[in-house]
Amino acid sequence: MKRIDTEAIVIGGGATGCGILRDLALRGIKAVLIEKNDIASGTTGRNHGLLHSGARYAVNDLESAQECIAENRILKKIARHCIEDTGGLFVTLPDDDPGYHRKLMEHCKYAGIPCEELSVGKALKIEPNLNPNALSALRVPDGTIDPFRLAAANILDAQEHGAKVHTHTFVTAIIQEGGTATGVHCHDTRTREDFEIFGRIIINASGVWGQRICALAGIELRMFPSKGAMVIIDYRLNSVVVNRCRIPSDGDIIVPGDTVSLIGTTSKRIEYSQIEELNVDDGEIEVLLADGEKLIPNLSRTRVLRAYSGVRPLIDVSGDVDGRTISRGIVLIDHAARDGVEGLVTIAGGKLMTYRLMAQMAVDLACKKLDVSRKCSTHREPLPGSELTMLPSKHIKYFTGIPQSVVGSTLYRHGERVRQILSLSKHNYALICECEMVCEGEVEYAIRNLNVKDLVDLRRRTRIGMGPCQGELCSYRAAGLFTRLKVATSDESNGMLIDFLEERWKGMKPILWGDGLREAEFTYWIYQGLFGLGDVAMRGEEGDK
Amino acid sequence: MNYDCLIIGGGISGLTCGIRCQSAGLSTAILSAGMSALHFSSGSIDLIGYDRARRIVHSPFEYLKEFTGAMPDHPYAHCGVDTVREALVFLRDTLKAEELEIYDNGERNHFHVTGMGTLKPTYFSQRSVFNDSIRQAFERRAKIAVLNFEGYRDFYPELAISNLLKNELFKNVEIVTGRLVFPDYGDPEKNPFEYRSIDIARIFDTIQYLDEIAEQIKREAGDAEFVAMPAFIGINNYKKHHQILQMLTGKLIYEIPTLPPSILGMRLDDALKSRFADLGGVLIAGDKVMGGDFLDGVLDHVHTQNYGTTRLRARAFVLSTGSFFSGGLVSDSGGMREPVLNLRMSATSPRNTWYSPQFLDRKGHPFFEFGVETTGKLNPFDAEGKVIENMFCTGAILAHYNPIGEGSGGGVAVSTGYYAANQIIKACGK
Repeated sequence: MKRIDTEAIVIGGGATGCGILRDLALRGIKAVLIEKNDIASGTTGRNHGLLHSGARYAVNDLESAQECIAENRILKKIARHCIEDTGGLFVTLPDDDPGYHRKLMEHCKYAGIPCEELSVGKALKIEPNLNPNALSALRVPDGTIDPFRLAAANILDAQEHGAKVHTHTFVTAIIQEGGTATGVHCHDTRTREDFEIFGRIIINASGVWGQRICALAGIELRMFPSKGAMVIIDYRLNSVVVNRCRIPSDGDIIVPGDTVSLIGTTSKRIEYSQIEELNVDDGEIEVLLADGEKLIPNLSRTRVLRAYSGVRPLIDVSGDVDGRTISRGIVLIDHAARDGVEGLVTIAGGKLMTYRLMAQMAVDLACKKLDVSRKCSTHREPLPGSELTMLPSKHIKYFTGIPQSVVGSTLYRHGERVRQILSLSKHNYALICECEMVCEGEVEYAIRNLNVKDLVDLRRRTRIGMGPCQGELCSYRAAGLFTRLKVATSDESNGMLIDFLEERWKGMKPILWGDGLREAEFTYWIYQGLFGLGDVAMRGEEGDK
Repeated sequence: MNYDCLIIGGGISGLTCGIRCQSAGLSTAILSAGMSALHFSSGSIDLIGYDRARRIVHSPFEYLKEFTGAMPDHPYAHCGVDTVREALVFLRDTLKAEELEIYDNGERNHFHVTGMGTLKPTYFSQRSVFNDSIRQAFERRAKIAVLNFEGYRDFYPELAISNLLKNELFKNVEIVTGRLVFPDYGDPEKNPFEYRSIDIARIFDTIQYLDEIAEQIKREAGDAEFVAMPAFIGINNYKKHHQILQMLTGKLIYEIPTLPPSILGMRLDDALKSRFADLGGVLIAGDKVMGGDFLDGVLDHVHTQNYGTTRLRARAFVLSTGSFFSGGLVSDSGGMREPVLNLRMSATSPRNTWYSPQFLDRKGHPFFEFGVETTGKLNPFDAEGKVIENMFCTGAILAHYNPIGEGSGGGVAVSTGYYAANQIIKACGK
């Protein structure tokens, strides 16, 4: 069996795991990351992409609020191309307790979060789609963050500093020798190859799946998964983040992001056994749309693009199994101290906003164990793409000849790396996805440099298939490119096209009406009516039997 | 304005109906809101391709006898098998009059190759898609070259070939690929790597590039006896230029339907519209019906976006506005409806049963089978449930059939359009 030797093994390719890998790499520690699916395919890629100011937590959870505002400031410096500094509003509607407005202001002040009182007229000027019946508004430094880009940029930097990544790879066992975890046994689901990785420390950063990883090491760790559903609207209805100024509840935030807006979220405790099969039910959609419409009335006349859900990894810290002491905060567990298993660390809880801080905490502990003295630098080193060296207008000039929309979109998604992606060859900037302005060069760059193994991975790196048409033409084109670039066989390309369409269908089914239904009819017409792709899918299933 | 027959919807169903009415001497107008579904179609006409167990149907008319017996609400059952047969003959003759030659297989289905290399049973194909020479070459196991323009984004021969070779019928057939490059015609404004089928069709429509393209085909195809290309060999001059290319290369050249826009579908659309206009029909393009008013239980007139308060009157009306995709049916989170006259819909189940769990379910999704309910004569019901005697619904707006799952979309559109026309002609005393 193949054997890899390294210093640190990171389990989990969410934002935290990716952040850890980068932190390790920047501190000169050899590291390998294992992810069972794709980078940012779990909870990281299934939230509302809010760059918290911390205001949402200010009243109930001071510690989280303070962490958020500190990380907010850091991320605005190091992750520019993953972030939009839109600003955010907290809006009190006629149904809401007007006293909460004052309370929120006071707590923000206490937590050190800038919070400015606005007249409703001023708020409407900033956000014309806002409900004009609002009673009051506060402005806070909320923003938006693209979790896919953030995770991928961390990985990219880590790899450029020598780290290794295995996506689509499961951990099947934790190898232990005399009470010390020394390595992991893995299975690559794409190559169907088994291999082992040995290292001096294993960092379990697999979020809600951390319970399973611990179980592999014979350790009991209880997670209390909570499902959050979200709905995506097919237009960017708001330019700033709009929050409902009330005690946190369902459907109280609308976040703009890329070309869409997103209504979040619900919160529902689910059984641990359900974490792989998340669905969104009609009730959740109704609540989100009804509450969203209260904040932005135009929403009821806008097409719903998708619905999806993620699972929050709430963790029980006491070892107490009834879940009374669940924390939403960051939990760092040294299993040597807690369970007598040396060489294994779990980092869990927290949130996307605090991924970097969590990584720093985990790597600080790892360094102590490995006797490495180098300090964390992730709070000041910009991520690849975020080194602000050229203004957008200069880029447009630099790429004269290429449509501005293509340059702009590529720059928006990849920051300064745009110069490795675009070239003046007409082939390079031909559009593959017209909705999201993804050109052939970007597809090629993502496949070659960003650990893209299939079309679903490609969507996370480029937004291909995420626009209004949900992959009508671009998914076929991109599948063809995998073969043309000789990174997949024809059969593999056909298979990934089928998988991609089925994956898109999951988010379309719950909101299949209006223009969404029209689009689905057209897409089915193309892929089954014109292409007979269902016949290929069926053959694939038979082949598996 | 006053017509014998006013048809709302200019797709293949409305056009078939219009041509039939106009050729019988009725003054006929067709209102068309925009491009019809033909622009997105395969360009072949499917009659019935699959039986209810999803097995391939080889003799569609034989199968339809049994099928219509078992499915009394199906549009084919309303038309009757004889009318379906007549309708298809009528369509073929109509297209022939416009010099668009259709291949039929003597009342049997044939297969056409799709862009993904699967085989689809169909009833009529254009002769550039299937004909007897292609069949013979295929039976000889002749070598095939699948050629494509370098950088054309909407067709990947490798994906199609890998699926084709898995089919029993293509066992031991040698298939190669080759790349053509766009002829040099200066510095085009549009990026050639973003050309759609329509852009390339225009190149083929221009005679001056044919020699160069023929040279490239010969070089790339080598000793292959027949050449397959995406269906973009011209629109206006395709017939002549296709022949010229075959002559210059000495090879059989045939077309594979592409991603939209469908050049094959556009040829059908052009031919039918041209036929309708030649017969003296009135085509009102780019206008949308907003509603209509009833008088004594019949539809008296409709009004449109562009004509405003002007009433469009007719003795008979045909609604062939298509399904959800074309806007003939609309839905929201609460249900589905017919938007022009609020005609009665077939019973629709709760929203979470409109679709199948798998997207690529070959049976087709349940929502395809929802639509306007009609009598056996294709007369719809108003909101109160009363039959509207001077109105007919045809094509994809109809309930109780699954165009893709059954492989019946084109056939139902043509047959119901034709059947409605027959009744209108009779009612008008012609």
